[in-house]
Amino acid sequence: MTPNRRTFKPYPMKTNIKLAWRNLWRNKRRTIIAISSIVFSVLLASWMRSMQEGSYDSMIDNSVKFYTGYLQVQDTAYWDERTLDNSFKVDAELQNQIKNIKDVSLVSNRLESFSLAADHMKSKPAMVMGIEPEAEDQITNLSKKMLSGEFIKSGDKEVVISGGLAKYLELEVGDTLVMISQGYHGISASALFPIKGIIKHPNAEFNKRLVYMDIETAREFYSAYGLSTSLVVMTDDHYSVNHIKKEIEQILPEKNTVMTWTEMTPELVQIIQSDRGGGIIMLGILYLVIAFGMFSVVIMMVKERQREFGVTHAVGMQKRKLASLVFIETLFIGFIGCAVGLIISYFFCLYFFYNPIPLTGDMAKATEIYGMEPYMFVSMKASLFYNQIIVVFLISLFIAIFPITNVSRLKITKAMRS
Amino acid sequence: MKIIEIKNLHKIYNGSSVSVHAVNGIDMSIEEGEFTAIVGPSGSGKTTLLNIIGGLDDATEGSVEIEGVKINELSSRKLTDFRMKNIGFVFQAYNLIPVLTAKENVEFIMHLQGSKKADRDARTSELLKAVGLGEMMDRRPSKLSGGQQQRVAVARALASKPKFVLADEPTANLDSHSTENLLDIMEQLNKEEKITFIFSTHDQRVVNKARRVITIEDGKIISDIRK
Repeated sequence: MTPNRRTFKPYPMKTNIKLAWRNLWRNKRRTIIAISSIVFSVLLASWMRSMQEGSYDSMIDNSVKFYTGYLQVQDTAYWDERTLDNSFKVDAELQNQIKNIKDVSLVSNRLESFSLAADHMKSKPAMVMGIEPEAEDQITNLSKKMLSGEFIKSGDKEVVISGGLAKYLELEVGDTLVMISQGYHGISASALFPIKGIIKHPNAEFNKRLVYMDIETAREFYSAYGLSTSLVVMTDDHYSVNHIKKEIEQILPEKNTVMTWTEMTPELVQIIQSDRGGGIIMLGILYLVIAFGMFSVVIMMVKERQREFGVTHAVGMQKRKLASLVFIETLFIGFIGCAVGLIISYFFCLYFFYNPIPLTGDMAKATEIYGMEPYMFVSMKASLFYNQIIVVFLISLFIAIFPITNVSRLKITKAMRS
Repeated sequence: MKIIEIKNLHKIYNGSSVSVHAVNGIDMSIEEGEFTAIVGPSGSGKTTLLNIIGGLDDATEGSVEIEGVKINELSSRKLTDFRMKNIGFVFQAYNLIPVLTAKENVEFIMHLQGSKKADRDARTSELLKAVGLGEMMDRRPSKLSGGQQQRVAVARALASKPKFVLADEPTANLDSHSTENLLDIMEQLNKEEKITFIFSTHDQRVVNKARRVITIEDGKIISDIRK
């Protein structure tokens, strides 16, 4: 054994990673408990946020589908004064241009107004929605919500009325609905409409007072020939609303404006934001629990190995390399916990995405009053999952400061006596 | 040739109510190739002296020079590097890394030095064979007896081709057979490879093998006998 002259090269990270990995499994039970606590925390956090966002999606979906749409093109004066006098003539070229914008799934005309609806004994103010039946049905699936009769088709002179209105006026399919209103520029509007179908509208308020008719029939009734109160724009991805708005704005004539669902229903946005705030506070508490759990494991990992750290430093391992070893161990725990947590959370939420939890009793009734289906929906938005991973990983980075500090203060003789 | 030169070395531990003068004005030197035992009763300052020589502890006063380098003047980082390149350690409680195999434990310092894999493999194999553990390279410490673990520790101490090996009570936890076996190995390495060994010990068998015996009491050298 003759001494050789070596060229000193940097200590390979691979060795630290190998050592860290093995150190992790020295106390399998403790590592598994630490990882499990992260897995359950990620699962709980993802599940909580997924349900929260799922319920918002459902609220948005209901509001958007059955009333506003994701975007509406209107006359500039319409939103402040919603009368037929502020309706506008939709240019076919403009409609085509909007249809061709990326992420736009559907564009449909609406003529929306009010009328007094009556039978031979009673009357009630009703909301009249002149629609393009086939397009509207693609958005709302209203034809699947018929209580009796059929949904209208383009060119029909008949109407579909909501269940609540039919009940109040004691009308059935085949009966005649009397409608009296004021048309475009004050022209009087009155007509008799045979009832083709009765629908159960998902929104309880709308269910009490809605009349659907073909847009051409509505235009004729209100003498608003060729006019629409809005052009409803739909998309399959509600996160693309802002870019669609920008593109529409570029092609709109001056007399028109485009509004998003958040601008048309600010109260809904406020409800969601305040509820989301509460959820985030809960999430913060959960993260705190995760942090303390991980911290206790890391303290044990570091404290029980003081002697070993002392020996390793004594034989020549620099403190920064030793610190990086313990840092990697902490990251491993965080990373494995997050990865396993992500996989389990994803499939757990995916199951409930396809099998939403039905609500019963008062909860179901309350949900229906707000126009939503009585189910607990979950969201599968990717950010809900990776955000948890990022936060938990950042927590593990933060916790890793402790072992680094501990190693930097290491005194070999003291450590070796421990 | 002198490899260690110690001058007027003092180490005082200041407790809350009392100060202990663990090393009290030691002057000594170690020549290359010596096989030296430092003996003395418990608390006499043997381990403290070894720790200061090895750069594991600071002296309160005095200096330790290793081949012309005053180690108490080195920064923490340079001292760690110096230990890695120049000093081998054998501890009473073996102190192997439990998650690494015998081979990996021996390789560890060479990894720190950035040695090539081929060099590491050859050196590890050579050392483990020299300590009689050629067949047990892939066993983790928990699968080795105390004597075998201490032999791995000796191989680890030699892996970096140090200038000298400091062994703090290396036989304290071993049975007599393992002790004999370990001492034979170290003596053979000393004679054949000219590796300098410095032991602190209570063990008469180690004292019998040593060619120089330094006796310490109350932190002072009371005798220094060369056989």
